Amino acid sequence: MNPIARERLFGFRHAFDDRVTVVLALTVLILFLLAPLLIFVVTRAANSSSDKRKELWDRYRSWIWLALFILIPILAGAFWTILGVATLSFLCYREYARITGLFRERTISLIVVIGILFITFAALDNWYRLFVALFPLTVALIATGGLIPDQPKGYIQRVGLGVLGFALFGSALGNLGYMANDWNYRPILLLIIFAVEMNDIFAYICGHLFGHRKFVPNTSPNKTVGGALGAIVLTTPLFALGAHFVWFGTALDTPVCLLGLGVIVSVVGQFGDLMLSSIKRDLGLKDTAKLIPGHGGILDRFDSLILVAPAVFHYVNYFVGFAAGQPQRIFSGWGI
Amino acid sequence: MEPWKLEPARDTGLTPSERFRSVRRESGLLESLAHHVCFSMLRSYFAIAHRLTIIGREKLPAHGPFVLAANHCSHLDALALGAALTPRHRERAFPIAAGDVFFQSGVTSTFSAIMLNALPMWRKNCGPHPLADLRRKLQEEKAIFIIFPEGGRSRIGSMMPFKHGLGMLIAETNLPVVPCGLVGTFEALPPDRKLPRPVAIKLVIGAALQFASTANDRTGWSQIAATVESCVRDLVAQSRTA
Repeated sequence: MNPIARERLFGFRHAFDDRVTVVLALTVLILFLLAPLLIFVVTRAANSSSDKRKELWDRYRSWIWLALFILIPILAGAFWTILGVATLSFLCYREYARITGLFRERTISLIVVIGILFITFAALDNWYRLFVALFPLTVALIATGGLIPDQPKGYIQRVGLGVLGFALFGSALGNLGYMANDWNYRPILLLIIFAVEMNDIFAYICGHLFGHRKFVPNTSPNKTVGGALGAIVLTTPLFALGAHFVWFGTALDTPVCLLGLGVIVSVVGQFGDLMLSSIKRDLGLKDTAKLIPGHGGILDRFDSLILVAPAVFHYVNYFVGFAAGQPQRIFSGWGI
Repeated sequence: MEPWKLEPARDTGLTPSERFRSVRRESGLLESLAHHVCFSMLRSYFAIAHRLTIIGREKLPAHGPFVLAANHCSHLDALALGAALTPRHRERAFPIAAGDVFFQSGVTSTFSAIMLNALPMWRKNCGPHPLADLRRKLQEEKAIFIIFPEGGRSRIGSMMPFKHGLGMLIAETNLPVVPCGLVGTFEALPPDRKLPRPVAIKLVIGAALQFASTANDRTGWSQIAATVESCVRDLVAQSRTA
């Protein structure tokens, strides 16, 4: 294997070479150290019920695990990062398939799973043409697979659900995995995930502080205009500042482009949240699963990331692109 | 065009450990694969180690819902019946297993659910509700239940009287009950042994019975238990002589 590719895929010794990575990892660590104190003070001051207190502690404990599951693969190497994203894709698709009933359509589900496996391979291989080709090809395969039971009744539903599932969890989330082909993927991914999660928290806090007018009461009754705007105002500069250091000196490194990217992360992140709210409300469910204590399902936690991944990928791709100078077709090219 | 029918999995909202123990559990892609692999391996195992002969396989209905009712004297019984089913059946086949043996700890319930697709039957304080859930599942999901109406393994190898549970599942329905007679499993793995002996096992499948006009009450259940029991006794006797 090409030494540059091997270094990127497995080179954990360079995990903390970039200062943005160090700053973000330290910030996360400090937040985790401060959070117990904050929870203690807030629950005391608000005289919260024991249920509420338990929920907050559950959430905190779950966050520690989630942070480890996110941080360790990214720091360990691009190989583990891409596998981590693939795992996330599978878990999200599984929850989606179970809540929509698509999991009963075995052929369609199998095709979506195979599609996700191929997307993962294309990302690992750094084979952009395959990566791009996989969306239309998998859609064609799903439309074909829907014919196999020879039952036209329900064809549009099963194929439609399959295509939406692959689009969101295979293709869109797959962009996150493909970003790991950039030589500087660690700060890029950490920054995106950190900003998206902070965006959720900012929206929640701002909503509580200045939220009066309901935003989309039918979709998500707790969302307010104040919360949404507050999140944009806080997330945009945070992300733009991080992005300035990550893409220092590139075509993207202008105030307008960076702020544009920050707005995209914040706005699209909130749309992702609303998208899942709509899916759940359409099905009459509160959570997609009961897997993470205090959070619900994997999909409940990572909903905001799903639409952000392709939006950021193609925005950055327009200005600078990913994977510049990295060897292509690492496994399939036989050393091309 | 008909409106879309979106039916979430019946086990939505359960934690993973609750789900493994639940009658509402519905298998996904990976779990189905695990059942298939497990039963294919069991099929080979029974063919090689126990020279399993199946008489009357053509009497099995082509698809669910139906109930396989057999005599019970060994842990091998459910596995042998599972191995006798065709791959098409396996997807919906559920051995009904004792909750206090197979679903007590996290490890055993995970194994029973993922590998065997078993559903728990709690023998103590069970009451009518779990049976009503099973009855609903049988009808709505076109399931195939593997049931041992004796309510436990016979410790001496001879059959015990059948209990009412089977009747509570199928009285007043058109669901076929397929009586099965198993011989050799007690000699291969009696309750006091840990590892099986390579003894030949024979399975005789009888003609399906239906109890649509049998009342769903105590008398009806007794009647069903008695009818199925005598059928199974005949099949066991038949397979001993065959």
